Amino acid sequence: MSKIEVNITVNGAKHRLEVGPKERLIDTLRERLHLTGTKEGCGVGECGACTVILDGEAVHSCLVLTAQVDGSEILTVEGLEEDGQLHPLQQAFIKHHAIQCGFCTPGMLMSAKVLLDKNPNPTREEIKTAIEGNLCRCTGYEQIIEAIESVAEYKSSKQD
Amino acid sequence: MIDYEFIKARSLEEALDFLGNYEDVKAIAGGTDLIVDIRKENVRAKGFKYLLDISGLKELEFIKKERDHVVLGALSTHTSLIESPIIDQHFPLLASAAKTIGSPQIRNRGTIGGNINNASPAADLLPPLIALKAQVKLCSARGERTMSLEEFLAGPYKTNRQSDELMTEVHIPLVSEDYLGNFQKIGRRKAMNIARLNLAILLGINNGTIFDPRVVPGAATAYPMRFRKVEETVSGKDIKDIDPVEIGELASEEMISFTGVRWSTPYKRVALASLVKRALESIFREAKVDE
Repeated sequence: MSKIEVNITVNGAKHRLEVGPKERLIDTLRERLHLTGTKEGCGVGECGACTVILDGEAVHSCLVLTAQVDGSEILTVEGLEEDGQLHPLQQAFIKHHAIQCGFCTPGMLMSAKVLLDKNPNPTREEIKTAIEGNLCRCTGYEQIIEAIESVAEYKSSKQD
Repeated sequence: MIDYEFIKARSLEEALDFLGNYEDVKAIAGGTDLIVDIRKENVRAKGFKYLLDISGLKELEFIKKERDHVVLGALSTHTSLIESPIIDQHFPLLASAAKTIGSPQIRNRGTIGGNINNASPAADLLPPLIALKAQVKLCSARGERTMSLEEFLAGPYKTNRQSDELMTEVHIPLVSEDYLGNFQKIGRRKAMNIARLNLAILLGINNGTIFDPRVVPGAATAYPMRFRKVEETVSGKDIKDIDPVEIGELASEEMISFTGVRWSTPYKRVALASLVKRALESIFREAKVDE
């Protein structure tokens, strides 16, 4: 099978890759770029564990072929921290005990990041909608929502 | 084992040329259904040699209002329908259906063209689009043609698209302010929910009298279609004289007249009646507020 040349930017770093026609974005991220923070849960777009930010939008990296995203910018959980400092969302997830097993966490963080990028002061309902595609089987939704809410408030109080 | 060559279309013209010159081509846009089918080796995704990626065709990603209709590029995502002020103003019925699809991740990738062409009996955009009398535009290297969405659908997961054609646009005629619509859906949960049943109802209401009713259940029949007996029954009647429970039961009878009694009928008979009742009650409430 012929290979497809793809240029993508992942967490600010440019990569030139030759991928197969069936290679999914999650395979590229985990197997080639060794960014294993992004998890594969169901592989069919039901659980949201594989959520990454593709050109500013939350997507399932298990439902995107890498060959389709030539020229795109991708942000994964590894790209959230800056200068060795955890992103405010990551800090909030720790502070609010919004993690148990941690498998859903990278996906939750990416869904929350997109929400706050677009809407710095979301309502509780908007937070719920933003993470409706991210399953947590330790069922810590309440803490996760609180963690996201706290960052929203933190941002707004800083702006005021 | 599904095996294919990946082809990226750089322009609509290139895509149509490829479709015209090669056989066994499958187009991919958001891929939210297709990639699952490919990985599961689902028979629905078999029998193609080339996967033609049209997801980069920005010229098919737009929503614009023209004189008497709205044109949606086939690559408009569900998110773009929800966020469009044009759709919000003219076709809230469509926006409310789009909101129930999958999750943000799915809505960001899935497209109106994909939802139509996949032609799932449970597709959430099909009932509202049929109720809105949407037309679809198909292009090929030979030319183009437009037909009603109702005619375009040919069966579960089947359409009347020719193999060299690509759906490029969906046209929805504007409706006057006399029209009120409602979308209903039930599934096993609220989010990430494939409809067990869905329903779009659009009624013209003038001084309390119903005209031009359109009643389209989804996942009730082999593919979504208008329930014309129900429509004839409510047409010309005053909303005060209509018993939503009775009309709900009539809709279930009409469903069974198409499907016969199936394993799911004991559930769907009651559920569809209830959805129709809810939709009518909601529309009637809105009509009374408007008066």
